Amino acid sequence: MSEMTYLQAISDGLREELRADERVFLMGEDIAVLGGAFKVTDGLAAEFGRERVIDTPLAESAIVGTAIGAAVVGMRPVCEMQFADFISCGFDQLVNVAGKMHYRQRLAVPLTIRLPSGGGFSGGPFHSQNPEAWFMHAPGLKVVAPATASDAKGLLIAAIHDPNPVLFFEHKHLYRRIKEDVAPGRFETPFAARVAREGRDLTVVAYGAMVWSALEATADLDGASIEVLDLRSLVPLDERAILHSVRKCSKLVIVDEANATCAAGAQVAALVAEHAFEHLDGPVVRVATPDVPIAFSPPLERALLPQVEQIKEACRELLEY
Amino acid sequence: MSSSNTERALPEVLVSMPQMGVSVAEGTVAVWHKRAGDWVQKDEIICEISTDKIDTDVPSPATGRVAELLVAEDETVPVGTPLARIATDAAPGEAHPDEQDAATAGAAAADAGAAGQATPDAGAGQGGARRVYSPVVQRIAAEHGIDLTTVAGTGRGGRVRKQDVLAVLATRDAAEPHDREPPAPPVRADAEPAAPGRDRTEPLSRMRRAIAEHMTRSLRTAAHCTTIVEADFSRVEQERKRLRSSPLPIVARAVIDALERHPALNATLEGELLTRHRDINLGIAVSLGERGLIVPVIHRAQELSVEGLAQRIRDLARQAREDGLTPDDVRGGTFTITSPGSYGAIISTPIINQPQVAILDLEAIVKRPVVVADSDGNDAIAVRPIAHLCLSWDHRALDGALAAQFLETVRGRLEREA
Repeated sequence: MSEMTYLQAISDGLREELRADERVFLMGEDIAVLGGAFKVTDGLAAEFGRERVIDTPLAESAIVGTAIGAAVVGMRPVCEMQFADFISCGFDQLVNVAGKMHYRQRLAVPLTIRLPSGGGFSGGPFHSQNPEAWFMHAPGLKVVAPATASDAKGLLIAAIHDPNPVLFFEHKHLYRRIKEDVAPGRFETPFAARVAREGRDLTVVAYGAMVWSALEATADLDGASIEVLDLRSLVPLDERAILHSVRKCSKLVIVDEANATCAAGAQVAALVAEHAFEHLDGPVVRVATPDVPIAFSPPLERALLPQVEQIKEACRELLEY
Repeated sequence: MSSSNTERALPEVLVSMPQMGVSVAEGTVAVWHKRAGDWVQKDEIICEISTDKIDTDVPSPATGRVAELLVAEDETVPVGTPLARIATDAAPGEAHPDEQDAATAGAAAADAGAAGQATPDAGAGQGGARRVYSPVVQRIAAEHGIDLTTVAGTGRGGRVRKQDVLAVLATRDAAEPHDREPPAPPVRADAEPAAPGRDRTEPLSRMRRAIAEHMTRSLRTAAHCTTIVEADFSRVEQERKRLRSSPLPIVARAVIDALERHPALNATLEGELLTRHRDINLGIAVSLGERGLIVPVIHRAQELSVEGLAQRIRDLARQAREDGLTPDDVRGGTFTITSPGSYGAIISTPIINQPQVAILDLEAIVKRPVVVADSDGNDAIAVRPIAHLCLSWDHRALDGALAAQFLETVRGRLEREA
């Protein structure tokens, strides 16, 4: 065990896979010479060579398209989007090519795309988004979003091993804020939810950075026993874990850093309405970013993104209901 | 909805029994949602009313304080009768001068609720509105036979929460250690009440009461006979695949044709007056599951094609299940078709929908070996989809030969002209 930040854990996962499997290679903008905009791939070009850590032109569609081709012929490409926001330029390749390849031609596309996502550091409208739900809606793609350093490494390795295209949403705001012991070597974290804290009065469902906000908001809430469920994987969605928790606690708050409409949390709410209706003791409550772009101004950004106080208030209200 | 006055000078508005369809003359107040002294918003539901088959909500015509309820629950009054007075010059939270007593009583109930005492059905808090229970509370109460009106709520406005009903359960279990059964099997609404001591007795719902009254009256009134034919549904099966519908619209069309040929069955008998109807207003029995049964009517059904009938049946069934039928949708039937066959029953003797003189029952379509003749007249055994058509008819209005002729016409249409 050694202590690593969330960012170091991702680097470590990449290094382990590059070492263990020669089919694994990395592509992205400025990832080789510069080591990536966030330095996730720092030093990897030196260790594994420029043929396996490839600087690409500024063209997301080309990155994803090239990687799909490599994956189909048996390679294990891992692409980096400089920011998750830029994935829209590679959208067609992902949604119409990668996601449908297996259904149309029975070809596996073992492709991993790393997407630095999320706000909270005054990144403005093009560098702060959480576009997970775009891909949840497209069949054939898996979507994961780790909250802890250990899960960041384990989910990344599981994504690389997975025969399907996997979108790996790594939260920028967690890169250097989260530090914990991470196991050495290669290990996989399952695409399933994790109980971040057990409780019995109310369930908070979250993923990514919001898991930490949820834990902080509910650490001491007038003695109430609050369960925090970290989804970790959005596709596949761990419906059993969600329903189990809601059936136990009967009250549910869902926190989304993404814009509220049709977000991952909306899917969770629909699931609970359909399958746990008779277990509910109050309305399903959502805390999410309103449907506007993320503001650059720090006070405005704080007003948009779900804050600890807001989650606290939502839980308190629902507990008293 | 009408109000006695709209002039601003008069501080009172009347809530009246609404006209719910051209043929409806009276209605019954089923439930009051407000009591005298309660504050009510314009368009808030003040009461539920029912006619003989349809229930509907009555919104308040104005904002104000309920000064007086003029009609008691379960009382039936003619359309237009004032049901309640609403004082529109009152302010929320203060009692109307005329209503000191009622308002004080209401406030006392609210206080008791706030103090967390058991206030059985006092409508604590929330302006005296009827208590509403969350799904989990209702489920636990149903599984363990808890009367929720006796449970004190600790939630907002006296709301009964999951922990409140669990607390009652814990107290009860502690009090009766011997009655403790193995972890209470979740009793589903459709399951048999199995555990001793957990039998539930409850009054019939309004819909069941109405069904009970109609059915016993019909059996008492009509001279019921049932005649049965079996029909080969091969053509119907082909046709229904083409239409992507149930066999019902096809049977309905055949029945309409047969009624045009035998108008004596498209009739109503009231006392000693037999009316043969020009239009065929075809009633279609729609099951509402445990809630009961309702018979919406397709008016002037003779004008509709099979496709039109299929559409109309689908619409009416959907409206019936969504409580969207108006009283006019269930009136004026001249003949009824019922089709419980989807559960596999093959014969039944339906009860006539009064004052009609006959009802046709379509039962399950089952493959059977039957004797058929080929074009040369040679008999052979073939497997064919067969269903029974069971016609209950009123021997006061017609005789067996006519019933048989009618059924033969229906069968002919189904087998040869479906």
